Amino acid sequence: MAETATLRAGTPTRRRSRGIPERRLAWLMVAPSIVLIAIVALWPIIYAIWLSLHEYSLRQAGLSRWASPAGFGNYQDALQSSEFWEATRVTLIFTVASVGFETALGLAMAMAMHSAFKGQGLLRTVVLVPWAVLTVVTAIMWRTIVDPNLGFVNTLLGTNTVWLGEEPHALIVMIFADVWKTAPFMALLLLAGLQVIPNEIYEAARVDGATAWQRFRKITLPLLMPALLVALIFRTLDALRIFDLPKVLTNGANGTTSLSLLAQRTFQENRLYGEGATLSVLTFLIVMAVSFAYIRLVGGNIRGMTED
Amino acid sequence: MRWNRHVAVWLGVAALMGGVVAGCGDDDEGGGGGGGGAGTEETGTTEGAKVIDPKSMDGAKGEVTFCLGKDTSGDKTALTKKFNQEFKSQGLSAKMLEFSTSADEQRAQFVQRQEAKSGECDVFYSDVIWTAEFASQKWIFDMSPYVQTRESEVIPATLESVNYDGKFWGMPQQTDAAFLYFRTDQVKEPPGNWQEVYDVAGQNDGIVYQGAPYEGLTCDFLEIAFAAGGQVLNEDGTKAVIDSPENVKALQFMVDGVKDGTAARGVTTYMEEEARRYFESGKATFMRNWPYAYALGEKAPKVKGKFDVMPFPEFEGGGKAGILGGHNLVISVYSDNPGAALAYVDFLTQEEQQIIEFRDFTLAPTVASVYDNKEVKKKYPFATDLKEAVSQAKVRPVSPVYPQISQAIYKNVNEALAGRTSPEDALKKAQSEMQSALETF
Repeated sequence: MAETATLRAGTPTRRRSRGIPERRLAWLMVAPSIVLIAIVALWPIIYAIWLSLHEYSLRQAGLSRWASPAGFGNYQDALQSSEFWEATRVTLIFTVASVGFETALGLAMAMAMHSAFKGQGLLRTVVLVPWAVLTVVTAIMWRTIVDPNLGFVNTLLGTNTVWLGEEPHALIVMIFADVWKTAPFMALLLLAGLQVIPNEIYEAARVDGATAWQRFRKITLPLLMPALLVALIFRTLDALRIFDLPKVLTNGANGTTSLSLLAQRTFQENRLYGEGATLSVLTFLIVMAVSFAYIRLVGGNIRGMTED
Repeated sequence: MRWNRHVAVWLGVAALMGGVVAGCGDDDEGGGGGGGGAGTEETGTTEGAKVIDPKSMDGAKGEVTFCLGKDTSGDKTALTKKFNQEFKSQGLSAKMLEFSTSADEQRAQFVQRQEAKSGECDVFYSDVIWTAEFASQKWIFDMSPYVQTRESEVIPATLESVNYDGKFWGMPQQTDAAFLYFRTDQVKEPPGNWQEVYDVAGQNDGIVYQGAPYEGLTCDFLEIAFAAGGQVLNEDGTKAVIDSPENVKALQFMVDGVKDGTAARGVTTYMEEEARRYFESGKATFMRNWPYAYALGEKAPKVKGKFDVMPFPEFEGGGKAGILGGHNLVISVYSDNPGAALAYVDFLTQEEQQIIEFRDFTLAPTVASVYDNKEVKKKYPFATDLKEAVSQAKVRPVSPVYPQISQAIYKNVNEALAGRTSPEDALKKAQSEMQSALETF
């Protein structure tokens, strides 16, 4: 026994003396990835933060200064501007509503596609079509559909509304268009989640006399939770950064200016680099905060559910 | 527990992607964004800008790179080919670098290069509204000595768009001005003023224009506001003067048109294409649009042969106006061969080339004599109307903060048209937004 112990203890020592220690080797092997991530992900973020602390002159080429006071002038201005809070409000409403509907609809679609029936393959393909359409094309399409003169929505609903010209109608159209486009994506992610749930569990539950609702509530939902959570996070982060839809639908009019649209307008159209970067950094912080909130809230629930 | 870790990994990935996207947008544009730091003393002048030497183009050699948006009509490709044939023996040639079709993107591409002090673009096809901004950044040559030699040939209104700080910063190459399209089967006599236009429209099928909040609305509003005698900025461009009785009157006039149904329902969401389709479906008596809609209208079964165009009429108690569109040729200060660049600019703005632009590609020239060319007149019955429209047109406010000025106009005018605010309040707000933009660092 003692002999084997020493032998076992001796092996790593010998191995270490021959080459690079394992820990260092591990670091070396991940180093290229870390460098790559630093270049493509970290550097732009740091650069954006750097920009956000400065003011760049529109009059004098190359003239810049710290945004007083203490480099935080742009943040102070942004947090005091009604535009920023309005854009935050619009973005949050859009996110909650669109992700909510997409999840509900996507789940229903996934359940429908999961049950075996004739033409299942065809349905799965057809359902994905809206997702394949470019967002800009989606937006142009919906512009035409809700046009009071050229579109059919007013005829269909018997209304006489200028959909994109009124508040909150414009935002409703924007949410609707996003749900139309993205629910299939949600459905696809959830379908993948559904397919890994073993059929035996359902059979056992059926034998025990569980109703369809109970099976959904006690088996499907908890086991689907990881896939659902990943899908939710993805969609939420996407929705919080929504840009192309409002840009093309309304150019931000009638309560549809999202944070990203505001940041892009400030940064690119107006060339206010400092102020624009500030808005992107703030958007980034909001996205981060929401993501962590997700893990805190929903992540805790999962633990509870699985320990049941 | 295991799931939690999974989720955390996904979150990390997703957050990172969020970061990349947010960061990239910035980085793209910023590209060394004026990081120079404080140092230069003079503020807001073009003092010390490089001046082009008109003699430098004589016998110039080398290759010129012409940066422009996607050449969808093919005119610049054809003319560049012609240039290369004619100047081959001199050792001078040109090539084109085409950016996106989107105007915003073209500007962004050029701005990026200039901020990086890149000499990639010798000549740039600048929209008339960008020229002042480029000049204020000293990104382009002061071309006054050259432009002055050509001044008499060019329609004076177009020269206003290259005039900043008392100097000429480019050569106008292509121009544009909108028309009032009207249905000849409903309108006997072209109306004499805007009020009459709306009266006749109200009795028939109304008017359609571009009322969505974007650059197009800035044009549509200013066309009427300028005619009513209004202004946007004071003489030296330091003060906003949009909140004036004349402008309020003009805006009130437009708002009334929306309220009483003279303007098409939904006009507050319309851009050029929606307006054109609306007019082509036979639903409007009048349409405000650019000349491009003419040829397309002739192909639309419902209005074909039943419409004509006219330059904008005067505003009662005011005068005639219009808004000038189009492009100027500007030369980058980072070009290593400005003489060759100037030779190319000179070539593109000669009468011979300008006739080709109009005759073969329906692009309005800046050289006045072209509009009287027989061949051109025969092919385009509206040539005289167009010359008149261009000549009476005015440039949009020339300012380095033009994008913000335009936003202040179109956002607030749109609010007023939609009936959410009064014309007075809308222009007050536009005034204060503009003033703070003018006072930015």
